[in-house]
Amino acid sequence: MTGAVSPPGVGDRQTEFEALLGPVLGSAYGSALHLTRNPADADDLVQEASLLAYRGFGSFERGTNFKAWFFRILTNCFYSSYRKRRRQGALIDLEDVPELYLYSRVLEMGGPVAGEDPAAAVLGKMDSEQVAEAIDALPEEYRVVATLYFLQDFSYQEIAGVLGCPVGTVRSRLHRGRRLLQRALWRVAQERGIIRGARDPDAGEEGPDGNA
Amino acid sequence: MATPDRMTCEEVFARLEDFVDRELSPDEMRRVQEHLDACAACAAEHRFEASVIRGLREKLQRIDLPQDLLARISRRLREEG
Repeated sequence: MTGAVSPPGVGDRQTEFEALLGPVLGSAYGSALHLTRNPADADDLVQEASLLAYRGFGSFERGTNFKAWFFRILTNCFYSSYRKRRRQGALIDLEDVPELYLYSRVLEMGGPVAGEDPAAAVLGKMDSEQVAEAIDALPEEYRVVATLYFLQDFSYQEIAGVLGCPVGTVRSRLHRGRRLLQRALWRVAQERGIIRGARDPDAGEEGPDGNA
Repeated sequence: MATPDRMTCEEVFARLEDFVDRELSPDEMRRVQEHLDACAACAAEHRFEASVIRGLREKLQRIDLPQDLLARISRRLREEG
């Protein structure tokens, strides 16, 4: 509740805003953590985005998707403030990664044992921090899309709305981002000794080009 | 059981990610599914891609929110008026 000095309706407005913000705050912080790669910056980013969203709450159309609306503000806030602070090059190279990268690596290892989920041969042995490390190694444009896709389960259309870009751009960034992520996962798994006896994926061999 | 509009492996492969994400039209979803039902190699690739995405989502969504974050935001909003 607000004090006597508050204009009429301000308390109600804040209550309404917080009722919508509360359920998405956890996922917003999760995304902010991957965008900024730093807990203190993630905390600041979510607070700043919340303040901006509150100021612009009048433009939010009641009954529409608050989460998508809020994430648009969060992402813009990240682009305008935080990436200036942490200008750094991509943590992984952008050379093209073959299709089915991780699948091919697992098969090269001898494949999964009968009945085992092949993805579990890598991912099942990695903890959340190691997976997060792979995501955080992606160059920014792919990391942003991957964060919205993997953490938020947004559709391509929703991601396009958040980023203000065409759906086709989302699709192509996501496609390449997934391949870069598969390679990053493999590298983290190698570095941490999760995958043993695997070949170095950058040893210059050709990836699979065929398909069944 | 082949149908005249059955997709090739290449056509399915080009749509695999959109299929996993349910971003295809209902007709394309059906045609890709028909192919996967009949082609073990494409079905294995599909299972792998879907499993990687599922596994990543499970691991990435376990993040602890700083306990007092909502309270701090609430305080700032109150100051904002």
